[in-house]
Amino acid sequence: MGNSISKTLGKLFGSREMKILMLGLDNAGKTTILYKLKLNRIKTSTPTVGFNVETVSYKNVKFNMWDVGGQERLRPLWRHYFPATTALIFVIDSSDTERLNEAKEELYSIISEKEMENVVLLVWANKQDLKNAMKPQEVSDFLQLSENLKNQLWCVIGSNALSGQGLLEGLSWISNNTSKK
Amino acid sequence: MQGNSGRTSYTGGSHMQLGKPPTFVPQSLPRSPSVPSLQGDRPFNSLNRSDPMLNRKVFSGETPVPRLDPGSAHSPMGSAAVQASPSTIGGNSNLSVIDLYGDETDSQMASEESEDTNHLDTLMSKSSLMDQPHRDDYNVTSQETSMQTDSQLPQIPKSPRVNISSKDAEHFDRYGFKKQTSCISEAQYDGWWSEYYQYCERRKSKWVVLMEKHGLPSSDDQVTRFPPKNEKLKRYVRKGVPAEWRGNAWWYFANGQELLDENLDQYGQLLQKIALIEKLPDKEDKYPDLEIIERDLNRTFPDNIHFQRESFQDGEPEMIKSLRRVLVAFSLYNPKIGYCQSMNFLAGLLLLFLDEEKSFWMLVLLTSKYLPGVHNVNLEGVNIDQGVLMLCVQEYLPELWDYIVPKEKHSGSSKGNLNKLMNTSFSSSSGHSHQSQGKNDFLLKLPPVTLCTASWFMSCFVGVLPIEVTLRVWDCLFYEGSHFLFKVSLGILKLSEEELLKGKHHNSLTHYSLNGSQNKHKNNNSPEESEMELFQIVQTFPKKLLNPNDIFEKIIFKKRITFNNLDQDEIDRCRKYVTTQRQKHKPMSDPHKSSSHSNVNDNDDVSEDSDNSKPHSSDSSSHRNVHKSKTFNHTHRSEEHLPGATQDTPYGFKRSMTSVNWNSGLKEKVRQIRKKKDKFMD
Repeated sequence: MGNSISKTLGKLFGSREMKILMLGLDNAGKTTILYKLKLNRIKTSTPTVGFNVETVSYKNVKFNMWDVGGQERLRPLWRHYFPATTALIFVIDSSDTERLNEAKEELYSIISEKEMENVVLLVWANKQDLKNAMKPQEVSDFLQLSENLKNQLWCVIGSNALSGQGLLEGLSWISNNTSKK
Repeated sequence: MQGNSGRTSYTGGSHMQLGKPPTFVPQSLPRSPSVPSLQGDRPFNSLNRSDPMLNRKVFSGETPVPRLDPGSAHSPMGSAAVQASPSTIGGNSNLSVIDLYGDETDSQMASEESEDTNHLDTLMSKSSLMDQPHRDDYNVTSQETSMQTDSQLPQIPKSPRVNISSKDAEHFDRYGFKKQTSCISEAQYDGWWSEYYQYCERRKSKWVVLMEKHGLPSSDDQVTRFPPKNEKLKRYVRKGVPAEWRGNAWWYFANGQELLDENLDQYGQLLQKIALIEKLPDKEDKYPDLEIIERDLNRTFPDNIHFQRESFQDGEPEMIKSLRRVLVAFSLYNPKIGYCQSMNFLAGLLLLFLDEEKSFWMLVLLTSKYLPGVHNVNLEGVNIDQGVLMLCVQEYLPELWDYIVPKEKHSGSSKGNLNKLMNTSFSSSSGHSHQSQGKNDFLLKLPPVTLCTASWFMSCFVGVLPIEVTLRVWDCLFYEGSHFLFKVSLGILKLSEEELLKGKHHNSLTHYSLNGSQNKHKNNNSPEESEMELFQIVQTFPKKLLNPNDIFEKIIFKKRITFNNLDQDEIDRCRKYVTTQRQKHKPMSDPHKSSSHSNVNDNDDVSEDSDNSKPHSSDSSSHRNVHKSKTFNHTHRSEEHLPGATQDTPYGFKRSMTSVNWNSGLKEKVRQIRKKKDKFMD
């Protein structure tokens, strides 16, 4: 209830706030993306054991972005923290074709959670700068989202955390597709 | 790996400011006049590899320019046995750290040239590139080593260029870590260090006196034994073990030698096994940890020169090789744990201070004695320790506790809903409803803030606190035991609390907790905002704690701060309590189940109750408290009615602290023993 009031007020004043969970396999580039968005800086790549959370404001929307450690073993730590997520961002290392399957399985296991029923799903096909990276379309095909996600809004966007390419595009997409809620 | 390497090679290029002109730096740096005999020019004893990194240390806080002593540098493991004295820098044929450095600037420039135009056209980079000089610069060199684009490599001159390197060296601390971090600027670091190094000097001279008093050697290469434990030594340790002695001190206090003596050949055998495994065609399938370890190797301390590969190097740095061996050997040694992220940081830090074999055994000790079960596959040890920490916060930092678990959770916030779900399933799975609405719920479903604090424990504050603070914590951890981690955590939280409750935050907190959501718009602070605020502070605050004495002198040494009464017994007892509490509701708190399951699958939960009788794997050495733990050893249902199980005072901190209760006798006893010991020492 409190939530909806604040949302209503937010709409009146043209600002909104949303919680975004950023997931993906380890080494997909989640933290790099987060700090590129937040600080416009590239952090040296290091495994996230806990999580990072930052507020990123863009176009009147405050995105509270949660970036949690990707290692399979650490996932249970944040599993119970799904609720109240407006959007799920799933980051994929497009160049790591060997692990695409694992990423796909992980993605489906997350979006099948009950709390994820109503979230919009953004997939960042990251590391587009690498020569061997799969194109967003290829990633999208591989994930078979159109076949499997009937009731959810989703989108696959190519990204490059280092240059920032695709990042704001992704946030815009989320913002545009959650405004009615 | 490909991804990582390729990407990082990309990183640098466009971001570079390049070409900071190489400045000449005289090789004989001015040193602190007060300390020459302690650290300055003494060549590192090549045979004592316990402290391989520290020889680069320069106490040059007062000199504005380079910090790193070129002479005392050497490459970590590989050439650890050979030490260049200051006069032999240039001539030393071994790859010294400084040598590596010399090329760094070049490689950096090379990559800049080739990639400069690569992605300037992208969305965000335009404005971004100019405001982050060093960090981005550094990124290039730190990782381009593994890059695919070999085209640049040939351009890089191979000759060591000591002068340039010395110039770059000033950006790194005495352990090879970059001074600048995400929260601390290099100027801040230098400002602080110019004083702190003097503190280190003073402490060291006191240590030397202490050692001599006990008839123990005190020259850096000979310090392997320490005086018997007593209050004075504890105080000395708390004020910091001299950096050059640290590896040996940890090893000594943790009783590493004992473990090594019992397992003399073990590490060698594990290495042989690794060699065999390496030859297996299907090694990655049989040993999945190998691949996981591999992914983290180059992401361990990318900001530390010892962990970076330089472009001209053929192979990877010795340090990375050692790290791989230690981690793989450990995963074979203890398959129950295998490899868990954060162990790379533990092993990495150990390797900076101890040789490979000792690092391995210290990792064994850390993951068994100090952090029991924390790195196990089921992570139950983490959850237990976080439960203990939350109990402590509830007890000792009540104001912060209100923030962590807001009283008015049901005001419609998301968290309130979650809480409702929790309570529902909690009640049904335990068979009857709780009047107290689960005072202990938080032990089963840990508050979100533990997402953050869990990593403090898993990595023992490596990467959480700045390095000098981390090392001070490790000194005490090995001397005093794991309860020190809780003290430090509480100390950090207490300091964060002050930050959190400052000014307007305080208002919003009051309004929020007293009136629920009603006033939150007035304060423009929704539950979610409060939560974000809490998280951000808890996440960022420790990273800014540059000065160890900010936490040690302001918190740890203050007797009036009640949580300083916590001792190992209390923590062990508390761990036992949380273990039992969690066990009896295990299905509900099973981390592998999402909350959706706990919501809908109550039957499922109940049916799995039989698991509860299983003894817990991560039993935290609390056998000493048998007399107390009995209390919690009742069956599931009867426990509900025990005082201390689900009622108002769920865990007996207060009783144990303030009134004559079960353990006051014990405390007195300990006190007497300590007194005796002290007397004995004097």
